[in-house]
Amino acid sequence: MDNLLEIHNLHARIGDREILKGIDLSLKRGEIHAVMGPNGAGKSTLNAVLTGRSDYEVTEGTVLYDGKDLLSMAPEERSWAGLFLSFQYPVEIPGVTITAFMKAAVQARRKAAGLPEMKTSEFLKLLKEKMAFVQMKPEFAKREVNVGFSGGEKKRNEIFQMAMLDPTLSILDETDSGLDVDALKIVADGVNALRSPEKSAIIITHYQKLLEYVQPDVVHVLKAGRIVHTGGREVIEAIEKAGFDQF
Amino acid sequence: MGYGNYRDPFVGLRPHYTVQAGEKLALTFVILPGESRDADLFIDLVGEGAEAEIKALYLCGGDERVRFRILMHHRAPGCVSHQLINGIAGGTSKVAFDGRIVVAPDAQQTEAYQENHNILLSGQAHVDTTPQLEIYADDVKCSHGATIGQLDEEALFYMRTRGVPEKEARVLQMLSFLSPVIPEGREEEVERAIRTL
Repeated sequence: MDNLLEIHNLHARIGDREILKGIDLSLKRGEIHAVMGPNGAGKSTLNAVLTGRSDYEVTEGTVLYDGKDLLSMAPEERSWAGLFLSFQYPVEIPGVTITAFMKAAVQARRKAAGLPEMKTSEFLKLLKEKMAFVQMKPEFAKREVNVGFSGGEKKRNEIFQMAMLDPTLSILDETDSGLDVDALKIVADGVNALRSPEKSAIIITHYQKLLEYVQPDVVHVLKAGRIVHTGGREVIEAIEKAGFDQF
Repeated sequence: MGYGNYRDPFVGLRPHYTVQAGEKLALTFVILPGESRDADLFIDLVGEGAEAEIKALYLCGGDERVRFRILMHHRAPGCVSHQLINGIAGGTSKVAFDGRIVVAPDAQQTEAYQENHNILLSGQAHVDTTPQLEIYADDVKCSHGATIGQLDEEALFYMRTRGVPEKEARVLQMLSFLSPVIPEGREEEVERAIRTL
């Protein structure tokens, strides 16, 4: 199968307000795509629908991930299938440490794949290695997930989890997140390090800055609930020069 | 003496525990699913510097009736008491918590804290919580707090997107909520009980 993700004529609404009005997008294995658009274009809704949030209703269209019907899968099943969706606003989980959280996630994914439980020593080694990879201080292993984290630390924790879970497709919602340059670099390094012919990523953003560090193969412009233009890196430059009105 | 409207809440009642000067009383309660119980606890701190630490947890998943009545009476100066009662009510269970801290006029330099936190798992479960402070001394540190909430849906969803199945995510969250009151060595027993809810 050539296309890892195929979105066809996707319509979605929240309440009685239609936000996505027929999205078409195909992504091949190994590609990095950027979805850019002005505020209110539907960027966050697209991410929410792909994540599996129940407050958005898909009224029309299909999403095939690796040939499977993504929209019928529970959020955890999407993760088991190799999808990773970063949150624009990562959630705090008081009382649950990063170690306990990641252990539950890793073991559940192994179970779903029919693999035996990972040994604790092996798990801790992996945890240490990935924390070092995103330059997270070792003491964070015992911290409660995102509790009292700065914006940059939360972002780093998202990329750490991405590295731990080794996804086939990462979808990063960087919409309006007002990241400083350091946080941007963490995200970019994470995405770039996971680049391989089998792995893909979609970066949803209206922030050109991130795309200086991660070079997307394909750039889509999302406007009023539709992809109105698709091209290469030259699209980023065009947006920088003349904004979204030209599309 | 300036007792004002101070009434001895122990009149007619025999305290379950009387803690003398320099002694420390530490009690933990664990009420597991299927158990209906009245947990009454009247504690008298009668000697200077006496201490009491109460921890309790309850788990209800059916039609249990659980009632806590905790009376912490600071009668002597310089006593310290801590109370933490956390529990989870599901099914059609009914839980009532009545907690009162009384600080007698002579019990200066008292430190008394009481917290009761509850999670409702179903719309049919019911929790009533009434924490009360009666303070008749002026040099004291006292606080009480009570909450009734639900599992955090956002956190559950976040965990699920990382591959933690919904049921496991709920167990993790309940365990973390109860962890401050789980007695040492009973973690597995409590986890097993949580899984039945």
